[in-house]
Amino acid sequence: MMRQIRLLTIVSLQGMFGLNEIRHTKDRGKKVRYCLMGFLWLMLIVLLAGYVGVMSMGLVMTGMGRLVPAVLAMSVSLVVLFFTILKAGPVLFDWKAYEKQIVMPVNVRAIIVSRFLTMYITNMLLGLLVLLPGMTVYGVMERPGILFYLYGIAAGIFLPLLPLTAASVLGASIAGISSRWRYKNLVSIVLTMVLVCAIMAGSMGMSGMEESELNAMVQQMAELMEGQIYRAYPPAVWITDAMILGEPVKLLLFLAVSIGIFILFLEILSRFYVNICMLLSARETKGDYRMKELREKSVLGTMVERELRHYFSSSIYVVNTMMGELLMVLLAGAVLFMDMETVEAMLGLPGVVGKALPILMGFLPVMMPLTACSISMEGKQWWMLQTMPVTRKDMIRSKVAAQLLVALPFYLVSEILLFLALRPGWAEGVSLLAVPAVYIIFGARAGLAVNELMPLLDWESEVRVVKQSASTMVTMLVGMATAIVPIVVLVAVPGISVYGVYLVTVVLLSAATFAMNLGNGKRMHYV
Amino acid sequence: MLEIKNLTKTYKGGKTAVDNLSLTVQAGDIYGFIGQNGAGKTTAIKAVVGIHDYDQGEILVDGKNVHTQPLACKKIMAYIPDNPDIYEYLTGIQYLNFIADIYQVSRSDREARIRQEAGAFGIYSALGDLVSTYSHGMRQKLAIIGALLHEPKLLILDEPFVGLDPEAALILKERMRALCEKGSAIFFSTHVLEVAEKLCNRIAVISRGKLIVEGDTKELTGDKSLEDVFMEVIHHDETD
Repeated sequence: MMRQIRLLTIVSLQGMFGLNEIRHTKDRGKKVRYCLMGFLWLMLIVLLAGYVGVMSMGLVMTGMGRLVPAVLAMSVSLVVLFFTILKAGPVLFDWKAYEKQIVMPVNVRAIIVSRFLTMYITNMLLGLLVLLPGMTVYGVMERPGILFYLYGIAAGIFLPLLPLTAASVLGASIAGISSRWRYKNLVSIVLTMVLVCAIMAGSMGMSGMEESELNAMVQQMAELMEGQIYRAYPPAVWITDAMILGEPVKLLLFLAVSIGIFILFLEILSRFYVNICMLLSARETKGDYRMKELREKSVLGTMVERELRHYFSSSIYVVNTMMGELLMVLLAGAVLFMDMETVEAMLGLPGVVGKALPILMGFLPVMMPLTACSISMEGKQWWMLQTMPVTRKDMIRSKVAAQLLVALPFYLVSEILLFLALRPGWAEGVSLLAVPAVYIIFGARAGLAVNELMPLLDWESEVRVVKQSASTMVTMLVGMATAIVPIVVLVAVPGISVYGVYLVTVVLLSAATFAMNLGNGKRMHYV
Repeated sequence: MLEIKNLTKTYKGGKTAVDNLSLTVQAGDIYGFIGQNGAGKTTAIKAVVGIHDYDQGEILVDGKNVHTQPLACKKIMAYIPDNPDIYEYLTGIQYLNFIADIYQVSRSDREARIRQEAGAFGIYSALGDLVSTYSHGMRQKLAIIGALLHEPKLLILDEPFVGLDPEAALILKERMRALCEKGSAIFFSTHVLEVAEKLCNRIAVISRGKLIVEGDTKELTGDKSLEDVFMEVIHHDETD
């Protein structure tokens, strides 16, 4: 079985991030694009390492150095849990891949483990990337013994196992429940959204508690934080005890719990796996069609309708790209039901939310618009748009319109909540309405522009497009840049006119959107 | 109806898939495009229908250049690929209605044609089901019905008979003949030489991207079968 797991995992990993394509493509342009992506990843890694290093240094300098492993382990676990929930179900229960694999002489357990390992390896790298800089800072400043490093590396390797198993349990539960319904995708989308909201609310609540306790005595705070982490996630404290106090029993306890729970999950899942895959792949056919009156629509109308049908047919596409809109409503709700200081403490952005609320509201949906992968999602059906009598302008309009229609209800609800909460004057009211609207329109067009530059049409799994493609990553970076710059200006320049910054931001984003529309007459050749 | 003049297409990486290809398909022609695997048939077809760009040459559909007037060309064309990957998230009727909207087919025409063609191809009762539930053959039939909805002046098909049941293949051949009688032209690639010989009034053989034989089917074959002619010209080309 080990051989089967190894082979299936290697094949699966080769498909991830286009690794095999980088090795074998003869297209120089593609190679250059992949190199640029690699460079971007490297930059992000350096930024992440720098952030973790500075945070660890801060903890050590305030006398809370012993909390470094616990804080890092907790953070990694939360990040792994949050991001894996969105893809665990689709990866584990990718029934199209299952149909290809099950006809081969491979064990069902090998299929499950190989899919789990594919997710595990990337998460393990993330775990080590966070733990290693923190350990290095702590090591240089506190000079612990060799056991600190040995236990740290062991913990780092196994750190994603528990959150990944938890995410897989949740993903499997969602897949299991939704597989029994007629509208599988819709049930899956709703359940995943509810779950993600619950996790975010929980984690925001915890960070709020940490911030509110910053004024306490350092030692008392360290104990409070440790207690808090222990209550939320005991394995993080076991890792701390193993690394800082050199307690091998705690490391063994961590490893035993992690591996034990994974084996239990594997045992249970392997009993239901085939059934769930079969239920997910089952499609209801009636075979009793009677023609009703067919409606005529305009070319744009029919294209927008198709875009929306496509969008809502993929749960992974919806839950990943609707997250920004959902966060927008949550933020507006938080502003209505809590005071601004509590909201700022929850988000870890003291003094920022109050000043830059319209920008933050706009920034959230811009992080991952559905247009960032809407060309890529056409996949093998891209030939249809290419051969139909439609222009690139029609294609762009339909995809942007689909994004705007998806964002519209969230935008309206958020605005109502904000207006109820803040009772703004005219200038603030206009800002609250206009800035997020301009951001949403810009994001929709920018996502599509990036996706046109970096299309990925030859894919096997939607996870590859939505979670791992260059287009989604670059769109996210563009979105972040458009928000970070004005926020930094607002925070760093004392006495600057808030409305002036909003106005400049709106003008620049509108100009960028206009500029992107100038080349709408080009042809559609991406392959 | 279709003029391909000195078409050359080189892929990134350096492989020349189509090399200086020229041919003409007249209105009323059923034109067979044959060649071995990798000969460049699909690449040439994809250049005609607007999927691939090309390096040199000119492609005219009803006198209009596909590069400079793509929309005008596409409006009178229809294309059916060898593997019809069509929108799986739509039902059959949603797909056909979508195609009819795109090609602006009137409501009465679309209803009549859908009833007629879906009935003939035997998928009428399945039109309310999602395309994802369709077999390969059913998808191909749906793609064919979609292509016939706007009565194209130029129908381009890539390996249209692969995966079709015998009855559907017969109906497709009838539809191809009927379209040509109305003055449309059909350009299709195939490996089934018997079908090409019986159905086509003109044949072109392509090898390693180059046109090696082209002409009237009867004149080309004479007293030999198309299979014999094909093997002869292919081997002759390979030994050159």
